[in-house]
Amino acid sequence: MKVIEIDGLSKSYKNRKAVDGISLTVAKGEIFGIAGPNGAGKTTIVECASGLRRRDGGTLRVLGLDPWNDRRALLQRIGVQLQEAALPDAIKVGEALRMYASFYDRPADWRKLMDEWGLADKERAGFAGLSGGWKQRLFIALALVGDPEVVFLDELTTGLDPSARRMTWGLIRDMRDRGISVVLVTHFMDEAEALCDRIAIVGEGRVIAEGSPRELTAAGKSASLEDAYFALTGGGTE
Amino acid sequence: MKGITNVIAVELKLIMRDPMSAFFALAFPAIMLWVKMRSGKPLPGGLPAIDATVPMLSVFVIGLAALVVLPATLAQYRERRVLKRLRATPASAATLFGAQWAAHMLLAALGTALLIVIGLAAYGLTAPANTAGVILAWTLSALSLSAIGLLVGALVPSGRGATVIGLGLFFPMVFISGVVIPRETLSGSMRAIGDLTPMAPAVEAVRDGWAGTAMSPVALVVMFAIFIAAGGVAVRAFRW
Repeated sequence: MKVIEIDGLSKSYKNRKAVDGISLTVAKGEIFGIAGPNGAGKTTIVECASGLRRRDGGTLRVLGLDPWNDRRALLQRIGVQLQEAALPDAIKVGEALRMYASFYDRPADWRKLMDEWGLADKERAGFAGLSGGWKQRLFIALALVGDPEVVFLDELTTGLDPSARRMTWGLIRDMRDRGISVVLVTHFMDEAEALCDRIAIVGEGRVIAEGSPRELTAAGKSASLEDAYFALTGGGTE
Repeated sequence: MKGITNVIAVELKLIMRDPMSAFFALAFPAIMLWVKMRSGKPLPGGLPAIDATVPMLSVFVIGLAALVVLPATLAQYRERRVLKRLRATPASAATLFGAQWAAHMLLAALGTALLIVIGLAAYGLTAPANTAGVILAWTLSALSLSAIGLLVGALVPSGRGATVIGLGLFFPMVFISGVVIPRETLSGSMRAIGDLTPMAPAVEAVRDGWAGTAMSPVALVVMFAIFIAAGGVAVRAFRW
């Protein structure tokens, strides 16, 4: 069963084509990676699919809904973690979870979520005082507080130290184990290789290659996914 | 509208945790009251100074919360991408606006209550002659001035910019509209200009209610019209 079906998606900002005819599908219960250099259109794909931006062309279905026209219904069923999004400095972890839970018709139990993601000790800690790793944990918990079927994670581990990254990987696998479909935007090929069932490598608004990490590595006749990535995007030859 | 009380409670806590907002809405007006009452001579016509000053400063509190603190909060949320994250939830702009309005007006209500308590305890404030009228006038003042504050917050991209614009609206207005200096002692030309500001009907109506003189229907209608017009534009112009 497909939870996301994108066909010929295009989106331009002013005169620049951010996304130029992208097609891809995400199956229920998989971790799907979107990788590519800066400006490749990764974030635009996520923003169009989560109803934050209106597409210019193509068809787009998430859980059978049109993300722009059926925004309200869709936002009840997906969770989103955005690049560089933030919370008010003075809000406490518990307050944020409880408030975000109140936005949904059928939220998850935010206290249980707080325990499961190791945030219980931080319930009364203010957002501004949290380290990067704890902030990301909170953002993951907030993305899950609506009890979503699909979760979009945009560069979740950028700026984290190696141990926090590893910890976050474990949390993302936990999500899949609960049956949630995950769309993971990342810069890091080791991350994509470790986590993703399938990956789309995008460049200049198009899908350059798509497949499992193993398939992509083999197709590029490369030693690792990272080598294959550089061969495909031309990033390593400069 | 589901869950809005929770959002209001959280937003009010956030405001109270910010020392600047708490100072602006609670301490600053109380200090103003003390300063005004140090030289508190009865007004021309014999009204004790305290009975004019507390109603006047209640509009001062509303103005601070609505025109200075509220737009700064919203614009800072935009600048810091707090709004962007909220946009990815089912929470609507109406919920967000409603919660911000309610939280900031609860702050103004606290500031007003503090002024009344100080007035009663220290300066022999007379209770309002028309309590229902005062509440109506206060609420309409809060609606009309907050609608202007929401409009500023809806349009200005940065928190700093919103604070500058908010203070730029607030300070000239309080001096010429009879909020800091009683209307009775303003010069005719000042009063004519001040009457064109949205604070003039607010202070007029609250004072009329307090004194028990007939409230001007025009003042009430003007406030309601400002609320509808500025609020309508704010909701349309709002960018997450």
